[in-house]
Amino acid sequence: MFKLKPLKRKMRSSKDFLIAKIVVFILFALYAFTLIFAMLWAFSASLKSQNEFYENINGLPREWLFSNYVTAFSSVQANGNNMFVMFWNSVWYSCGGAALGVFTSSVTAYVVAKYKFPGRGFIYGLALVTMMIPIVGSFPSQYKVYTALGIIDTPLLLITKAAGFGFNFIVLFSFFKTLSWTYAEAGFIDGASHLKVFFRIMLPQALPVIGSLFMVAVVQLWNEYMEPNLFLQSYPTLSSGLYIFQLEMTRGINYPVLFAGLIVSVIPVIILFVCFQKTMMESMSVGGIKG
Amino acid sequence: MMSEEVLTAELPAEDSTPPKKKKKLTKRKIGEYAFCYGMLLLPLIQFAIFYIWINSNSIIMAFQEFDGYNDNGGELFKWSLYNFTRFFNEWSNPTSVVVSALKNTFKYFAAGLCMVPVSFFVAYFLYKKIWGYKFFRVFFFLPSIISAVLFVTTYKKLIDYGGPLDMLLSLFGVRIPPLLTDDTKATATIIAYTVWTGLGINMILYQSAMSRIPQEVMEAAQLDGVPWYRELPQIVLPMVWPTIATTLILVITSMFNSTGPILLFAGSGVEVDNQAVTTISFWIYRQTYKAADLNYPAAIGMFFTFVSVPIVFIVRWVFNKIDPQVTY
Repeated sequence: MFKLKPLKRKMRSSKDFLIAKIVVFILFALYAFTLIFAMLWAFSASLKSQNEFYENINGLPREWLFSNYVTAFSSVQANGNNMFVMFWNSVWYSCGGAALGVFTSSVTAYVVAKYKFPGRGFIYGLALVTMMIPIVGSFPSQYKVYTALGIIDTPLLLITKAAGFGFNFIVLFSFFKTLSWTYAEAGFIDGASHLKVFFRIMLPQALPVIGSLFMVAVVQLWNEYMEPNLFLQSYPTLSSGLYIFQLEMTRGINYPVLFAGLIVSVIPVIILFVCFQKTMMESMSVGGIKG
Repeated sequence: MMSEEVLTAELPAEDSTPPKKKKKLTKRKIGEYAFCYGMLLLPLIQFAIFYIWINSNSIIMAFQEFDGYNDNGGELFKWSLYNFTRFFNEWSNPTSVVVSALKNTFKYFAAGLCMVPVSFFVAYFLYKKIWGYKFFRVFFFLPSIISAVLFVTTYKKLIDYGGPLDMLLSLFGVRIPPLLTDDTKATATIIAYTVWTGLGINMILYQSAMSRIPQEVMEAAQLDGVPWYRELPQIVLPMVWPTIATTLILVITSMFNSTGPILLFAGSGVEVDNQAVTTISFWIYRQTYKAADLNYPAAIGMFFTFVSVPIVFIVRWVFNKIDPQVTY
């Protein structure tokens, strides 16, 4: 009697869980279906002719027009830039911005984590406080300051990305904090300078962390459309450019070609994701803290 | 693994500084200081310009108003409280942009708050290795990295008249009403989009926190026959609370910053400058885009930043109080 009770309870609880699991599985499957359906729908739309897009909006394309992808590169325009230009803009905007941000943060994080100097605590506190306080809508002031500096609507805008005290700082700070100082000391004994120790000994050890932060930043900047649309109007990236294209062409827009362009714009991110799926999911979730 | 570092990094990490000793500045020390300040010089200048200058300029702009042009065509500004009197006047008018934008901001905030338990629930079942959990994990995550421009354009077509959702509804004899062009439904439709694509990042974050729960704890619970609906709130929730608290703090403290993907919903009959769809932050963004009067939006931004600051401290204080203090 007494021995049976826990067993019974266990069986009941696993039966309960099975029911919950089935219900949740159905919900998950439905939700996953809507996401996959949306992606397949967009892909199928990108292969239709313009007429078919209106006549047969939900069906599979009768004829698979891969030529839409070629047309996209020649006919999609944003402020006079074609998709090759937008692609290049996306590359320098996302890779350049990410590289500057991650590099600057690794410099500041390394110095603050590994050296003791007057003002160190202040700088650390500054980084934490600026992370904590959400600034609401500083766009007007940004606009004025960028105009005053003459960096608005030029690639020089990238220096705004070279921020050393944001979220990347916090991650890299805790990394360098736990990193052993022994190798650096060995370097000093061999007569290496502080700079050399940083670049040749310490920075290479941080490369995995730097790499994943870089990747997260690249994806975020690649998908960013609000800032390029406001401050880089002459340099539309794929994200902002395809948005501008939609707005400029409200009438008679060739939707299949637009979808072809949109799919081209996400391919680099998909390739990154396929190659670095695990790292990306882990480090994106850290990026989520940034909000 | 990395998320833990971030979470702990928020705690004061000053313990490593040794007690200050009065030391003479040796040559070596000077070289060290020179290296430190040299390395920090450019980042600090960057910070001074793009954080301190921009934000103090916001405050200056908030207390100025446009006062005509000078002889060279430059704009003149004078000190005034006009922006704030205008703001508080609009405030008392329930049909004004500010009030409408604030209402919408709270709607986005509420949706963001609701997504926290939903993502937690989803993460729990992925953690429990529901059939196909690897597959679900990847697909639920994908919307967080695929360009919103593609997803929103597709979403607009999916909910269009004659689109797939309409076809589905017509099986039940209902046709889809115009959603985005109807002021009473537009914001809800955009929020529905953010919910639809907004599971990813928190879900992964919670799931990796759950995977760090020691196996013995879960096994002990199973031996005692704890049903899942008690395991979830009484064992898993306290164990991953620090992670949940961090995400909740973020949702709450950045509540005035939500713009959603409103911009992308523009076009084909949808006007994003319509006050029925705008939020505080998005309205400021659009005013800057139109570059008409920048001082008034700057004042509104400053006002809500100042409102956020006490909220940040109160929320952090409250979350510190309700920490279940689980150690393992």
